[in-house]
Amino acid sequence: MTKGRRQGGFIAALALLLVFVAFAYGRDPSVEDGAVDLPPIPGGAVAQSPLLTRQSGTGAETPPHPLSDPDGTSRYMAVEQQVAARAKPSSGSRVVARLGTRTPEGTTNVILALARVERGGRLWIQARLPILPNNTLGWIPRDALGGYNQVTTRLVVDLSAFRATLYRRGTVIWNARVGVGQRQWATPAGEFYIRNRLTKYSSPTYGPLAFGTSARSPVLTDWPAGGFVGIHGTNQPSLIPGRISHGCVRLENADILRLDRLMSPGTPLSIVR
Amino acid sequence: MSEHLTVEVVDADGAIRDALNDIETGTSRQGFLKKALTAGGTVVLGGVAIGGLPALVTAAPGPAQDAKILNFALLLEYLEAEFYTRASASGALSGEAREFSRVVGAHERAHVAFLKGALGSKAGAKPTFDFKGTTEDQAKFLATARVLEDTGVAAYNGQGPNLTKPTLAAAASIVSVEARHAAWVRDILQQNPAPAAFDAAKTQKQIESAVGATGFITA
Amino acid sequence: MSDHLTLAQVDRDGAIAETLDRISPDSRAGFLRKGAILGGGIISGGAVLSALFADAAEAATENDIAIANFALTLEYLEAEFYTEAVAMGAIRNARVRRFAQVVAAHERTHVAALKGMLGARAVAKPSFNFQGTTESEAKFKATAQVLEDTGVMAYAGQAPRVDANAVLKAALAIHTVEARHASWIRHINGAPPAPRAFDQPKTMQQILAAVAGTRFISSGPAMTATGSSPSFTG
Repeated sequence: MTKGRRQGGFIAALALLLVFVAFAYGRDPSVEDGAVDLPPIPGGAVAQSPLLTRQSGTGAETPPHPLSDPDGTSRYMAVEQQVAARAKPSSGSRVVARLGTRTPEGTTNVILALARVERGGRLWIQARLPILPNNTLGWIPRDALGGYNQVTTRLVVDLSAFRATLYRRGTVIWNARVGVGQRQWATPAGEFYIRNRLTKYSSPTYGPLAFGTSARSPVLTDWPAGGFVGIHGTNQPSLIPGRISHGCVRLENADILRLDRLMSPGTPLSIVR
Repeated sequence: MSEHLTVEVVDADGAIRDALNDIETGTSRQGFLKKALTAGGTVVLGGVAIGGLPALVTAAPGPAQDAKILNFALLLEYLEAEFYTRASASGALSGEAREFSRVVGAHERAHVAFLKGALGSKAGAKPTFDFKGTTEDQAKFLATARVLEDTGVAAYNGQGPNLTKPTLAAAASIVSVEARHAAWVRDILQQNPAPAAFDAAKTQKQIESAVGATGFITA
Repeated sequence: MSDHLTLAQVDRDGAIAETLDRISPDSRAGFLRKGAILGGGIISGGAVLSALFADAAEAATENDIAIANFALTLEYLEAEFYTEAVAMGAIRNARVRRFAQVVAAHERTHVAALKGMLGARAVAKPSFNFQGTTESEAKFKATAQVLEDTGVMAYAGQAPRVDANAVLKAALAIHTVEARHASWIRHINGAPPAPRAFDQPKTMQQILAAVAGTRFISSGPAMTATGSSPSFTG
């Protein structure tokens, strides 16, 4: 391919991207399991800005009751019916995402429940959503969700220190060195949760065990199954610590096996720069 | 097990002591009992004090033992039924206390009828009672009702393992109602309706001592 | 909510069938090995809890184990219901909140005692979905009344079926406390605390059908996948 054609191709792609971005907020929202996505804002930095976190207003009736405290008990709930997550706890509010009942891995789709309100006799749950942009929240009618499941653990990944730490009720119970995303595929920062757990597969590059998170790569948007960030083992432990991956957090195999004994899916996850 | 029971064992949560504090000193025997109890002495009250009840039940479950235990239960139900009947008739109760006495009295009278029917010719006779003014004053009534109902629960639970299975089924259907009574009057009194996660069982001896200490049975 | 429980045989995800399988008696006869000894001091009158349940652990038959696991399932449900209701913060009335707190503690104690008695034979805690009944004060009050009345009928139905005296003593000690709970919440709700002179028992099947009708027991989310390679970004 000639340089000119490559440049032309690149400009065309960029133009297309800009067109998508221009229409982004007027478009129908994504189906969160990856079929159709809101295009990401390039670079990921703006997406992680707290200003873009879709915290909806809470209305006058009752103040939201908190359901998760990462230093205490957090709660996650299964998505039991296909349902729209909305910007505000009202059936007329803008749809932020449509949630399905299964993840691409076939596990139950779950959300982290942050708060609950009652509006007009109906209960709504403010949920942390596994969609792009990262750190998006939305309100879901409670009756589309299952029961409350509790965890008392919290995982923190420090991208600068190349370290992951697991807390239980605020006390450190595990930590390990990690490999994180290379700069062009940076592991996104923000608040997430562990979505599922994969075992007994035959991909040595992922080690013996992998945790799926609700975090998604803002750059690898055409990655199969939505480009979710995982936390997994490795067959190249000598690369850890370092910026080594396409966005996933890599652990030495012994460390992830230890983590598995202490942490269950549903655990809130903070990724800090 | 020793037949000598200290007040602390009989009256572990102070209920009897509370009830007695509300009873004015009457006969010399009752006064003696009150003095003995408040002094922390040892009180020995065998079957004699309750008018001829059989001694400790220790055999394996069987119809004869069932009859002994049901007669023990009948004695308590006679006492409760008469207590509520007299309290309702006294005109001293108003409001929810009156409703409580009406409803619970009907239940206890039904329990008496059931037990008499079950025992047939073996049913013991109804004793004579003197409720020492506790049926004539609303505050004393409620305090005493609480003691009686809690005692009934402990009595039935204590005897459960000694009964044959069919009789146990009948006892189970009664004891939960006594527990409901106990919780109800406790709530009326603004006390904890369910003070513990497990209800204690008391032996026949312990119950006889507790009941004897009230002095309500006079013959 | 009426006194009568829905008996619709709604079995979400086969969870009730699983529960039934787990608690039905084994075909082999035998006696339970000694369970864990528990701390004492939580019976009124100062009697020692550990003696009560340690004796029961040693003496229980297979039939008793099935009954104890049935009771444990109900206690898991009640403990989770009350604990969640307290945590959800939807109860504004102080009297109702006190009821929820006291009863939650009792039911957790019942769970601990039964688990200690059963040791390795204890069924696992199911997953629950209380369908919003822990998130509304009105629904909580009505549901608590049904649950407590159900517990009374459950224990009354099982007491005559228990083999070991030690297990029976433990069951009777819990049975009357559930009756106190029932009377208490009925009183709060303005319902008759003791609606009849004789409480009726119900069989294990009847109780489990009633529990199934609440749809509270669910199989919980499936969080693990096996066999297929991760498709994360790596």
